[in-house]
Amino acid sequence: MSGRRDREARREEGLQEEQRAGAAERRQRMVKLASAGAFLALVVVAVLIVVSSGNSGGGDSGNIVEAKEVDQLLAGIPQKGMVLGDPSAKVTVLEFGDLQCPFCKGYSEEVLPQVIESRVRGGEAKLDFRNYTIIGPQSKPAGAAAIAAGEQGRGWNFVELFYRNQGTEDSGYADDEFLTAIAKAAGVPNISKWNRARQSQAAIGRVEATSAEAQELGFSGTPSFALEGPGTKGVEAIETPESVDALESAIENAGG
Amino acid sequence: MKAPAEGTLRGIGTFLATFGIGVATYIAIADSGGGSPVCIAGGHGCQTVAESSYSHLAGINIAIFGIGGYVVLLACALLRGDAFRLTGFVVSLIGFGYSLYLTYLELFTIDAICQWCVASAVLMTLLFVSNAVRMLAYVGTEP
Repeated sequence: MSGRRDREARREEGLQEEQRAGAAERRQRMVKLASAGAFLALVVVAVLIVVSSGNSGGGDSGNIVEAKEVDQLLAGIPQKGMVLGDPSAKVTVLEFGDLQCPFCKGYSEEVLPQVIESRVRGGEAKLDFRNYTIIGPQSKPAGAAAIAAGEQGRGWNFVELFYRNQGTEDSGYADDEFLTAIAKAAGVPNISKWNRARQSQAAIGRVEATSAEAQELGFSGTPSFALEGPGTKGVEAIETPESVDALESAIENAGG
Repeated sequence: MKAPAEGTLRGIGTFLATFGIGVATYIAIADSGGGSPVCIAGGHGCQTVAESSYSHLAGINIAIFGIGGYVVLLACALLRGDAFRLTGFVVSLIGFGYSLYLTYLELFTIDAICQWCVASAVLMTLLFVSNAVRMLAYVGTEP
């Protein structure tokens, strides 16, 4: 009897030993798998960072692009100050933007060209660009530089060209050299005069005034729009119409 | 030091991931309306960060990826077994690493702090810690 009990106890012990060894082996395998998973996770993070960094680009004063395209877009449309279009157009579209804002760039490239062709060129509406500086310290001098370009009839060329060459916001690219390169490529005729004007208190003051106006209108981001026309009660904020159709329809309604 | 019971870690994970889904969903909804999250403490930090090109990845708001990550982490916290211990660890490590990078961008590139993004980064850090402890202490053991 005793021999049988011993054999059973030894068998039980052996089984337990086997289970312990199996569990240890299984845990070791899982820890190895976790290490591989950690490596994979770090690779994924590195890829995400590279893709995210690729969002930047532009901002190169030595390589200003798309000047011709901007010229073609605006050719033949009157400009006065920061207003693009027939001064007697019955609807005014106020665009509050920050030249360093990537969404403004996207809007300027994807929505505004069609609206300029369909509503501004024909004289139904005029576009009035107003600075709403929210991105960083270089937004204000950039906005003043656009206003100074507007004094020489090239304000919209400056704005559109700036957007098409925009760098990573507030990364320091929008310096004097970059602004000058944009002004030259935008066709500002007198760069010395432009330089004086952009540094004047009048231009800086206008940027501050339109930024304050945007806040009074309750805007929380850029680009934001407001309309004024026979169908509106004064200046009416419309935030950011999400498509060409939405902006065109708002212009039609403002036309009365 | 003895690790907390796995049930406790899973409970913490469930709470944090649910909270994270709420935060990321708010950021995504605020962005989809063409606006930006509102900083409760005031200031333009949330707006500036939301306007940043870094707020989108391949044209998609990163808050959407955040929602996806938190949903996976919630599932891992709710379910038992090694597969979920490992997945929770790997996904939270990705979230933690990317949150670190985004916080660096806020501090040194964008020069603005969005409290919603900070909240998400803190949640992701805590999720990483709880998932790492769960994985180290319990992987390879019975569920």
